[in-house]
Amino acid sequence: MVAGLLLGGFYAAVSLGVSLIFGLLDIANIAQPAFVILGSYAAYVMNSSFGLDPILTGLLFTPVFYFLGAVVYRLYYGSFERRGDESLRGLVFFFGVLFIIEVSLSLKYGVDYRLVDAAYIGKSIDLGGVGIAFRLLVPCLVGLAMTLALHLFLSRTFYGRAVMAVSQDRLALRLMGADPVQIKTIAFGVGIAAASLAGALLITIAPVVPSTDRDYIGRMFAITVLGGMGSVAGTLVAAVILGVAESLMATFFGPSWSLAVSFGILLVVLAVRPAGLFGR
Amino acid sequence: MSRIVVRDVDAGYGAVRVLHGVSIEIRQGETVALLGTNGNGKSTLIKCIMGIVRPAAGEIFLDSDGTRIDLTTKSTEEIVGLGIALVPEGRRLFPKLTVEENLLLGAYRTAARGDIERNLAFGFEAFPVLRERRRQLAGNMSGGEQQMLAVARALMSSPRILLVDEPSVGLAPILVSRVIAKIKELKDRHDLTVLMAEQNFNQATKIADRGYIIVHGRIEFEGQSTQQLRDHELVKKYYLGV
Repeated sequence: MVAGLLLGGFYAAVSLGVSLIFGLLDIANIAQPAFVILGSYAAYVMNSSFGLDPILTGLLFTPVFYFLGAVVYRLYYGSFERRGDESLRGLVFFFGVLFIIEVSLSLKYGVDYRLVDAAYIGKSIDLGGVGIAFRLLVPCLVGLAMTLALHLFLSRTFYGRAVMAVSQDRLALRLMGADPVQIKTIAFGVGIAAASLAGALLITIAPVVPSTDRDYIGRMFAITVLGGMGSVAGTLVAAVILGVAESLMATFFGPSWSLAVSFGILLVVLAVRPAGLFGR
Repeated sequence: MSRIVVRDVDAGYGAVRVLHGVSIEIRQGETVALLGTNGNGKSTLIKCIMGIVRPAAGEIFLDSDGTRIDLTTKSTEEIVGLGIALVPEGRRLFPKLTVEENLLLGAYRTAARGDIERNLAFGFEAFPVLRERRRQLAGNMSGGEQQMLAVARALMSSPRILLVDEPSVGLAPILVSRVIAKIKELKDRHDLTVLMAEQNFNQATKIADRGYIIVHGRIEFEGQSTQQLRDHELVKKYYLGV
């Protein structure tokens, strides 16, 4: 149960990028988990070569990932969105990006499990008889901080508010004096930058292989839909629900069932409440 | 001193030519009415000024204290940045954002960000219902409230020139009167220059200083006063049913 709650904070971190890019920009970026894994490998390389803390690496790499995201969006915009045939071809494009990242990582680093080392990994704290592992607690706290940061960005800044508006009416946004392409580039960059940190958290929790991204596609999209497309608070609540549901499932029915939880939730939400918990 | 000059503009969509050699001028401090029934090119002309539709021929420029700024080569964002705001036809609010979020987006323009508190206070004072509903989603409001929000949102950008496209569409007559009276009040207070495209002749001439009548994409008459407009045969024919 406690592990599930902690997992929830981490899942929120992983899903924020999808919530932003898919939920608010309406861009079906299924390559997001591959960017997260890329973040994991960045943390692994910096950790094994220079002994750098994985989460610090994740933070340091956010500008690189932001730039990467901006480039990917410009490519996507120029090739598909500007011509208005983004829905299906865009999906194929992002599938391609996912594949390229995954295969590149496999070729460079092989398919062995990679992990990182930091002082707090392996330690735990005892809270009223419940042992809490630092390798779960730290990612959860960082995930909460990221959630708060994204919430403040969206609600308090001009760019953030424009990001919330951009998929509702592009022309109206231009009439406010904002360039929709610039706004989407920024938002996409922020979403991919979040993957840098999320990846670092992922490899802190457990070892990673290039194909780990496949375990997260379902979770990310289930959390985004359950939370209510693009709602930051909803993403956090949905992530905690999924985290708890998965650990209960793993405890009572075995860990192999836990992946079924996200798709189960996805189906139920789409059938019962397609707008999600906090959908506007 | 600033004025917008539209000279000999041809414009259209693809092969369809909507405007034929249109020339109008909006001078500082004026309220100019652009009158015409549906499908005569009012909205197209406004879209040309805002850079949403590019003219095929002719010139559109902003004369700002003697400096001539060509608007046909500027993006819509840049034109908004020059202090020209549009209340678009159909209002075009962000339906899934709250009233307050819509208003704050109106102040996106860099020059307007410092005036947010003042403009917000003005907007809430002019339309108190917006203050009551500031946390409500814009899409859940009535048509009249939405039109008020659209006007208030445009004013959040501290414009010098306000273009209003068909404020009366979809509103009950009493609300039209109220919105139009508010536009006049706000114009006086903010020292605005206003161009209002409207098919409702009686409402538009209540606040206009002068106006143009556009028929089939051509300016058929330029009235120097509302009386001149009222007396013109086209108006009698189309609007007053004489």
